[in-house]
Amino acid sequence: MALGFFLVGFSLLLLAAPAHAARGEPPNPTQIPFNPRLEKPSLPENPTLADQGAIPYWGICLSCHGDKGQGLTDEWREQFGEDKNCWTSKCHASNHPPLGFNLPHQVPALVGAGTLARFTTAQELKNYIQKTMPWWNPGSLNEEKSWTLTAYLLRENGALAKDQQFDIAQASISPVHLPIRERQSEFSGQGWLAVLLGLGLAGSLLFANNPIPRPAPGTRPSFLLHLHPPTIPAAQMRWRYTLGAGGLAVFLTLILAVTGALEMFFYIPTTQNAAQSVQIITFSVPFGALIRGLHFWAAQTLVIVGVVHLLRVVFTGAYNAQRKFNFLLGLLVFAILLLMNFSGYILRWDEGIHWALVVGANLLKTIPLAGEALYGFVIGGDSPGPATLTRFYTWHIFGLTLAALLFTGWHIFRVRRDGGISAPPEAGERLSRVELLRREILTMGLASLVLLVISIFFPAPLAAPIRDAAIPLGDIRAPWFFLWLQGLLRLGDAFWMGVGIPLVMAALMAALPYIFPALPAEQQGKWFPRAGRAAQVLAGTLILVWLVLTLLEGVR
Amino acid sequence: MTLTRRDMLRLTTRGLLGLSGLMGLTILGRFLSYQPDPPPPQRFDAGSTDAYALESRTRLANIPALLIRSGEKYSAIGLTCPHLGCTVETRADGFTCPCHGSRYDSSGGLQQGPSTQSLPTLRVEIEDGRVIVYR
Repeated sequence: MALGFFLVGFSLLLLAAPAHAARGEPPNPTQIPFNPRLEKPSLPENPTLADQGAIPYWGICLSCHGDKGQGLTDEWREQFGEDKNCWTSKCHASNHPPLGFNLPHQVPALVGAGTLARFTTAQELKNYIQKTMPWWNPGSLNEEKSWTLTAYLLRENGALAKDQQFDIAQASISPVHLPIRERQSEFSGQGWLAVLLGLGLAGSLLFANNPIPRPAPGTRPSFLLHLHPPTIPAAQMRWRYTLGAGGLAVFLTLILAVTGALEMFFYIPTTQNAAQSVQIITFSVPFGALIRGLHFWAAQTLVIVGVVHLLRVVFTGAYNAQRKFNFLLGLLVFAILLLMNFSGYILRWDEGIHWALVVGANLLKTIPLAGEALYGFVIGGDSPGPATLTRFYTWHIFGLTLAALLFTGWHIFRVRRDGGISAPPEAGERLSRVELLRREILTMGLASLVLLVISIFFPAPLAAPIRDAAIPLGDIRAPWFFLWLQGLLRLGDAFWMGVGIPLVMAALMAALPYIFPALPAEQQGKWFPRAGRAAQVLAGTLILVWLVLTLLEGVR
Repeated sequence: MTLTRRDMLRLTTRGLLGLSGLMGLTILGRFLSYQPDPPPPQRFDAGSTDAYALESRTRLANIPALLIRSGEKYSAIGLTCPHLGCTVETRADGFTCPCHGSRYDSSGGLQQGPSTQSLPTLRVEIEDGRVIVYR
């Protein structure tokens, strides 16, 4: 009996010996004292993902991040005996690196206020865990373990209720710092909205000879009809001539106004609360992600629709004669749109926008003479802070909005004032405004459907709130509509690349109707009139340069 | 050319209106020039000298700066890119700006544009055994 024990002990020593020899510093191989804090958690009968995550947490994460997720505190370090390092296998799990490992000096806490601050969604947290953990063997956690660990951390932080199951399919819309809601009903709500709208539209397309009833003679037309001229030339409302871009832009502007006003019910414009309140809109408010998605995608689509509209006007020679001034108004509205888009982007006030704000503001400083004053006017201090956010908020919801409404209204008014959309001089067929309104409503319906579907499947971007000590992000991107600027700025002097060249491009575009001769009447109202070649090449080149710079920076 | 009484009155009135307009603009300018946010701190307490090992390079994210200790000498490189203000990233052989790709060597000297300046050297002083970095 005694001999048997001796043999077993001896063979164990033999097995352990090479490991000790290799390290050169023999640790104490005595038996492990029982420590209740290292006890394996027990699984309930029907374990949720979070319950399952407790096991790998105990086995792998606990040594550094602590039994309660407190991080590597001095108190926790005491658990590891004399050298306060993790040398002894089988303390709490089996898959220990054969030579043990040195504990890092600083290990962040994972549970409690202020922890996991760099993550916004469960998806981000899971990706990080899977890619970088554990530190001595990154990438060794499989997909399933990473998910269970994520669910466990969410539950420990109060984002997931005790018995709530974590839905992996919705990880990218599940917050880390807010309670996760059950979203089934919401998703089906959005789906039904899209389906109903789609069916309604399909119906009206199939039964297209079911026009809006013409008002009886003598009665007053409805408000919507009243906004239109009684009849307009069929040539002016041809799809393949206008592309519907102008009308679509107006409709998107309306969507932006409505969804923007709705967001204002929950958005808090302070540096402390802004990013958090955007997360609340996105993750907690019922259909908040939908409203925010519609606002975001309408804004992005509007930039594209604006460019398409501009190209249409140039390529059909509609910028000449009496429409010169309206061309300028249109460019002004486009500039306001970019400012609106940028200021709205800044309102997120999270790490995703941090550097765009810094770079944009510092660009102002490079302007000779007026630079410093402009910087102070926009930022309200020596560096971005509370005054900056208040100012951007005020510009976004009031100043720029007012300007946008004013100049858009003027732009539309001038269209009628200038004799409608440019058209061939010969008097063709004229259509009633009832038909125009019908086409407009159809366009609006289609646009709504597209926006709805995009918003459901592609959530608007978010990032972690801005903190005092910035998180290095590695990959810093301007918002997509300013990627071309970021690309230019890599190439040379900040003022010329960031302010000078864009201004020259804008000036060239604005000068277009004034430097090129007016089109002869017989060439008006057609795509690519011969007399407008030079203007077409100029505008096409400018847009192409813009596009290429954007793409180059985008794929970088 | 004679100046009638009516002309004189009109001229005076318009002049006064013009002046009041200019005055209003000046007031607006002064109003808008006030900067409510206090200037950011210029002096940072980076903790006790004991916290920095000999020949160490420590990133202080809140300044942001890289504190270098060589022997008993402390120095600091500011990590704000002089190009357009992004915080540069530390690489094995120096620093890179993630925004527009400027590169600096490990002592902060400019290697590649678009930046036109090297990273700034910050003043470091030891006061009562504590490392104080001035921006």
